[in-house]
Amino acid sequence: MEKYPVIKIQDGKKYFFRFTLNQRIQHIILAATVVILVLTGMPLKFHDAPWAPYLYALFGGISAAPTVHKTTGAILVLLFIYHVIYLTHVIYKGQVLPLKKKEGLNVGKILRLLAKQSFVPNLKDAKDIRDLFKYLLFLTDKRPEGTQFTWKEKFDYWAPFWGMVIIGLSGLVVWNKVLATKIVPGWVINFSLIAHSDEALLAALFLFIWHWYNVHFSTSVFPMGTVFLTGYLSEELMVEEHYEHYVEVMKKAGLEHEILPPHGSHEHAPRKGGYAS
Amino acid sequence: MVLKTIFKLYFPFCILSLILIFFIPINSYTADVGNCLLCHKYPGLTRIDEKGNLRLLYVNEEIFGKTVHAKVKCEGCHTDIKNIPHDPVQKVDCLAECHIVEPSSEQKFSHKDVETFLTESVHSKFDKNGNVKKYSEDLPTCKNCHEDNPLYRPLAFFKKVRPGISEAALGRCRVCHKKEDFIYRFYNHITTRLHRSRIPISIAEMCSKCHDNPEIVAKHNLSTKAVFSYGETFHGKAARYLSESIPDCLDCHVGQGESAHNMLSNEDPRAPIHKNNRGKICSQIDCHPGASPRFAKYNIHAEFNLEQSPAEYYFTIFFIFLTGGTLLPLMGIIFLDSFRKLFPHITIISKKRKGM
Repeated sequence: MEKYPVIKIQDGKKYFFRFTLNQRIQHIILAATVVILVLTGMPLKFHDAPWAPYLYALFGGISAAPTVHKTTGAILVLLFIYHVIYLTHVIYKGQVLPLKKKEGLNVGKILRLLAKQSFVPNLKDAKDIRDLFKYLLFLTDKRPEGTQFTWKEKFDYWAPFWGMVIIGLSGLVVWNKVLATKIVPGWVINFSLIAHSDEALLAALFLFIWHWYNVHFSTSVFPMGTVFLTGYLSEELMVEEHYEHYVEVMKKAGLEHEILPPHGSHEHAPRKGGYAS
Repeated sequence: MVLKTIFKLYFPFCILSLILIFFIPINSYTADVGNCLLCHKYPGLTRIDEKGNLRLLYVNEEIFGKTVHAKVKCEGCHTDIKNIPHDPVQKVDCLAECHIVEPSSEQKFSHKDVETFLTESVHSKFDKNGNVKKYSEDLPTCKNCHEDNPLYRPLAFFKKVRPGISEAALGRCRVCHKKEDFIYRFYNHITTRLHRSRIPISIAEMCSKCHDNPEIVAKHNLSTKAVFSYGETFHGKAARYLSESIPDCLDCHVGQGESAHNMLSNEDPRAPIHKNNRGKICSQIDCHPGASPRFAKYNIHAEFNLEQSPAEYYFTIFFIFLTGGTLLPLMGIIFLDSFRKLFPHITIISKKRKGM
């Protein structure tokens, strides 16, 4: 597998490793297909809206847009299947096998291993959410010190994950309705359509409001976060969102003396620019 | 001897007739025997009727000449016109026996048979026992459905599909038929039956005039605002995007090989939409071939309201709560976060400031 330095220095600034090239390609395919699927799906959901015919016409109208939607959907389903295989492979090769060699395996050990994965929600996330509200409501000036993946990122991962299962399965039922109704009754198509379109609306709003706010539109990253392209996150954002992980990484790299104070800290604020040190 | 005298007497008349026939233009469009176009050919011919509406009385001979009714005399439908100039006319009765001779039976043609179909259908004004139904005045007559039928939308199926008469098709007719007039008439006659004069959304809009009228739906105890619920399906949405191949009301509600005038109630075991027959309608070769009877359990007229389709309603409500429950807190955080970023160093409980 590719090797990525944990800290990369460019123009005197530190950048911290986040995503491999493989993951970034997966993300771009996901993002592109989702945008196309939303653009070709919403004009059907909101067929009464004045903008709908124009948007639909952009994708070839009723004679072509459904094909565009289905093709794109198929790509997304394949990506999902690939992702699950990829994830299983990475965890198995990187963690399960070494564990097996070291101390042998049982179900409990595997479950504990899975629960410890960096993208699996845990108690720290609950604590961070509580602390975030304290911070947002001016009860403290300390931001929660995020780990490698914050609760926001876990949410951003698992919400589309669940969404893809729901939208994907219901989409496949609606697409292959004749085949599906060999097994299930026709009213399943009714519920599949509701689930498909309503869950899609939720997903679209979630991604275009919440996800885009966090990764692009928030004043800390505006106009555009670049980590999805470069795979590396700037030190400033690392401090703001992943302080706990940041300190850990810096210590591991032997850069204890260069660790910046937590975001928004009073004591060290003047030193942040570096001129005082 | 007598014959000879008659012949001599009528000979100049016969010659004159022949000459006259020779000069009749071949391309005469319409059967304007009564010379109605003498006045009605003027585009500005209008009048304000008793209700104050502007009535356009102009007849475009070129367009009318290409319609199925081109060969019907004006007086054939407007039967109350006896003299010219005429008084305001009655509405046309489509069932009048007034038309051209029907070529196969050589009887006078009329739309009267359509009425027979209609009286046997769900739209009949009479019930099974021949009694007048309650609210029979709501039930349709010819022009409720046909008043906005486009007069002229012929089929052109050679190479490229475009409106108008296909010369390529006419060329095939000319192989056997010599009379241009006959060729045009039968081309029209056949092609108008090979295609539908209205696209699916127009059919749906025509039906919606009554079937989406809440008063009529309630009065006749219908289970759905049919075109509204059709509009919620992919069929209806595609129709709205002007798909020509998507099924409209008639594709499911009229049996294969039946006339639309013969539409039957879903309670009638002969009806294609009767619950025992629905599978066959869905699995038609042009629709969902191979579909099992289970397929037809799809609730195609679901309205997503509590009375008509509670399960779909609650399922939708679940998603509304899921969407609101997910997004509202997240948007709250976005709002608070944006606000917080304006004052990053302020707290209400300022322990640290005391320490400083």
